Amino acid sequence: MKNERRNILDRRRIAFFRDPILLKKSLLLATAVIALIYFYSMAFRMTRGNSVLFGLLIAGEIFHVWMALTYIHTMWSSKSESKFNRYFHPAVDVYITVAGEPIDIVEETVTAAKRMDYPNFNVYILNDGYVAGKQNWREPEILAERLGVSCITRTRPGGAKAGNINHAMLLTRSPYIAVFDADHVPARDFLKKTVGYFSDERMAIVQTPQYYKNRDLNPVTSASWGQQELFFGPICHGKSPINSAFMCGTNMVVRKQALLDAGGMSEHNIAEDFLTSLFMHEKGWKSIYVPEVLAEGLAPEDLLSYYKQQFRWARGGLEVVFKYNPLFRRGLTWKQRIEYLSSATYHLSGIIVLLNALFPVIFFFTGLVPLQISTMLLATVFLPYIFLMVYILQRSANFSYTFEALAFSMGSFPIHIRALWAVLSGEKSSFSITSKKKIHGNFIGLVIPHILYIVLVAVGFGVAINRNGLNVSVWNNLAWALFNIAAMTPFILAAVPAGAKKEAPRPALNLESYSLEQVPVIDKSNAAGYALKKDEESI
Amino acid sequence: MAVLEKEISFAERQPREENFGWKGAMAKWFSGYGTAFFLMTLMALSAAVSLWVLAGQSLRLDEAQSIWQISRTPSQIFYIVAEDVHVPLYHLLLHFWAMTFGESVVAVRLFSLLFYLLSIPAIYMLGNKAYGERVAAYAAILTSFSPFLLWYGNEARMYSLLLFLVILNQYFFLKLWKKEERPSWLAYGLTAILGIFTHYFFALVLMTQAIFYFVRRDLFDKKALTKFVLTAVVLMIAFAPWVFYVYKRGAVSNTQPQLQLPTTVNLFNTFSEFMFGFQVDAINSIILALWPLAVLLAFFSLRRNYRISEETRYFAVSVAIPIATAFVVSYLFRPFYVSRYLVVAIPGLFLMLSWLFSSYRERMSAAIKGSLVVAMMLMFAIQTVSAQTPVKENYGEAVGFLNTNVTARDIVIASAPFTIYPIEYYYRGEANIETLPLWNRYETGPIPAFNEGDLPAEVNTLKDGHQKAYLILSYDQGYEQKIRDYFGSHFQRLESRSFSKDLTVEVYKLR
Repeated sequence: MKNERRNILDRRRIAFFRDPILLKKSLLLATAVIALIYFYSMAFRMTRGNSVLFGLLIAGEIFHVWMALTYIHTMWSSKSESKFNRYFHPAVDVYITVAGEPIDIVEETVTAAKRMDYPNFNVYILNDGYVAGKQNWREPEILAERLGVSCITRTRPGGAKAGNINHAMLLTRSPYIAVFDADHVPARDFLKKTVGYFSDERMAIVQTPQYYKNRDLNPVTSASWGQQELFFGPICHGKSPINSAFMCGTNMVVRKQALLDAGGMSEHNIAEDFLTSLFMHEKGWKSIYVPEVLAEGLAPEDLLSYYKQQFRWARGGLEVVFKYNPLFRRGLTWKQRIEYLSSATYHLSGIIVLLNALFPVIFFFTGLVPLQISTMLLATVFLPYIFLMVYILQRSANFSYTFEALAFSMGSFPIHIRALWAVLSGEKSSFSITSKKKIHGNFIGLVIPHILYIVLVAVGFGVAINRNGLNVSVWNNLAWALFNIAAMTPFILAAVPAGAKKEAPRPALNLESYSLEQVPVIDKSNAAGYALKKDEESI
Repeated sequence: MAVLEKEISFAERQPREENFGWKGAMAKWFSGYGTAFFLMTLMALSAAVSLWVLAGQSLRLDEAQSIWQISRTPSQIFYIVAEDVHVPLYHLLLHFWAMTFGESVVAVRLFSLLFYLLSIPAIYMLGNKAYGERVAAYAAILTSFSPFLLWYGNEARMYSLLLFLVILNQYFFLKLWKKEERPSWLAYGLTAILGIFTHYFFALVLMTQAIFYFVRRDLFDKKALTKFVLTAVVLMIAFAPWVFYVYKRGAVSNTQPQLQLPTTVNLFNTFSEFMFGFQVDAINSIILALWPLAVLLAFFSLRRNYRISEETRYFAVSVAIPIATAFVVSYLFRPFYVSRYLVVAIPGLFLMLSWLFSSYRERMSAAIKGSLVVAMMLMFAIQTVSAQTPVKENYGEAVGFLNTNVTARDIVIASAPFTIYPIEYYYRGEANIETLPLWNRYETGPIPAFNEGDLPAEVNTLKDGHQKAYLILSYDQGYEQKIRDYFGSHFQRLESRSFSKDLTVEVYKLR
């Protein structure tokens, strides 16, 4: 029994460094030094080739080194000094945000929320189904009545999920708000494990991991969880001690006063939680991340849903870079500025992945290279850097990062580029809820850039052989191109219907009760900032 | 909730516990007689390839030196080996082996082959202790199919003995940290002493173990420190007389041939040679150019809860430390970066690769393992067939050419001087053999340095009374072209023939 209990606790712990501090910091320092040596060698010690390509290469490497160093910065701090008072039990309003999700999913979440072990809380379904034009918008009201909870149905649109929360805040009274997406089922001890941190009067946000219980369902859910595990593992873990943990939209508790102080949930950004957290930190409020799974949700189960989720996050993050750049925000510490900027700039990685992938193709077609050096010289500085970096990544995540997660990060380059374009061009985007059910179909359209890349490599290789013969440069560039193709392959396979068939049985955890109804048809005439079906299809 | 699977070390994930279906039956059979059969098959294959393909190859310079050295008395062997900057165990053992089996090329090579073949089950034992049967089996396959090891398993030098002792020593070191007590300490100490008397580079293995122990003392028994210190003291007491002997002889500075400073290309060539043997520049360049795929192979291993075990960390440092040390010390002290000396890193490398590939998903693992073995076999075939393989020294054919052409009125001139050993081994001609620069092997001291100013006088001394000079040029020590130019400008060149990479015979009319 004791062992069983320990196992359950183990399973709830999110992965992070388990090394002594000295070893951890030594490894991080060594990685930082190697990263700088790598960059210095490439930028200043190697013979330059084509100056435009060299400039692009260096720009990409600046980004890589920035990501590496900021990752090390995030990992550097050790323990949070936040106090937890287990006897602090103020009233909490529990918000379950709903906008047309299948009612059985909502029911599971509401039922679990009601069962939470806490003396003083009220559960509210924040029903945006009506303003989002969902056909099943009445169902949450019926459910609320049946389960004996309150339902707040908006009738005036605006602000999407942020608007929904802001609207509810005016109608509820408790000083603390717990927020769950419709599919995120809280554990019984969620509030007991989180609210105690608010005994610190400046504490504004207590965030917990966003765990996907369907992570083993198929390659998309598995890769999504792989990425989440890195974020909710070492990254959030590291941000917390330097007071930079931010809201992630669900599985969190927020001090209402702090939220009001920040002007409510920001309705001006597609990633409202990220920007609102920044505003709260600017006002001197504190945040903490609790690295224990206290709620379970659902990962996107198909490539289209994944695409939309990533696009929303990327667009939100990039908007922060270009419209609310943390470097120039008053009230933030320098550590917070770095953390916010590094999280937001991650979404620039798409353009860097594309750039790096194009170097071999450019060589194949034109013979131009960014560096004119012995490939072994590059290997001498690159291999220690990349191996150490991956090792640190794995070690910090307690060996939870996967190739599929990496491949999906790299394969997402068109999403990030499209998000960048949307931000720079001021294109309008709506808040699109990640589908809670698998959307069936062929998503080849989403991987056309990847397929085009493969075609370009194949044709370019022929061109290069015709021009240079099979010389060392051709082989080396082919190896790089194959590297990129291999990294894109899991993403491409996820788009193919045949790939989607390879699904594990659904987890037993209450998922059998899901209804098989189709994704609801949306009434275009009545939207509240949520994505319309047309938008979904266009993505 | 299943957030973080129970952490399972890779060794625990091995399929040894599968005891159902045909896989279970296979596993059961494999762990019994199957293992012995599997290893015997690998050994038989390696032995067959060696005897069929490699035994007939020409004697090489180093081998000729070995044969010349072991033909002396044990005290002379000490003397010569010290000058040759080596340690004497291999030569002494080969000396007694040759007393029984003779000094023929095949007989002395069989001695190396014996240790190479024993290395196959030895690495299996090491791999099995570190990871389990699957990783061990593939490491044994890599050892068996490695063109590099096949080459040195058939060379009358100490490298296969060194490999065997490194594997045994690593095995007992692993037993120590897994706290398998008494016999391991004795065996560990014994293999350490034998190893250090086989090659100086064995010290790098011991240094790696010392560093690993220092960093991960927690893995070992609390009394391990005392025992390690005791082992080190015994080792130093055993080795000190030899160090004193070498120091007294001042022999360290006499080593020939001179080695070049290593470059980053040498560094990567080492790995390329370990995996694919010795290839001509055109092929080797392609292998090296494909290095980005190594990054991909590492990325493929990123799987949830597939942790890097302490054994893997140990094997990683057992590869990195010797190679990095040899590279750095070559710059700080004197060049001694030679890939064959670094054979001490191969067990760690093969076990790491085997672990890496076994961490992939099943199909990918099988595909990559199979592809690598096929590539190694292909490269071995090319290494064997190509006359331009860098390590090939076809003194047999070159001297055969001399044997059929020289007369008593001619002279054979070998340069560099130390190449006289393999030439003499095959030479049956009537003409005298001399060296350029002139060198009397029976005088104490190093080989005389080349002096361009002395060249005319030395050539005049050699040409007196001879009609033709058969100039055998190999192992360029930086002055080969000057000798060639001198002969070319003073005498009529009658013929020039190449027998292997950098081994040519040029015939000049002297009068």
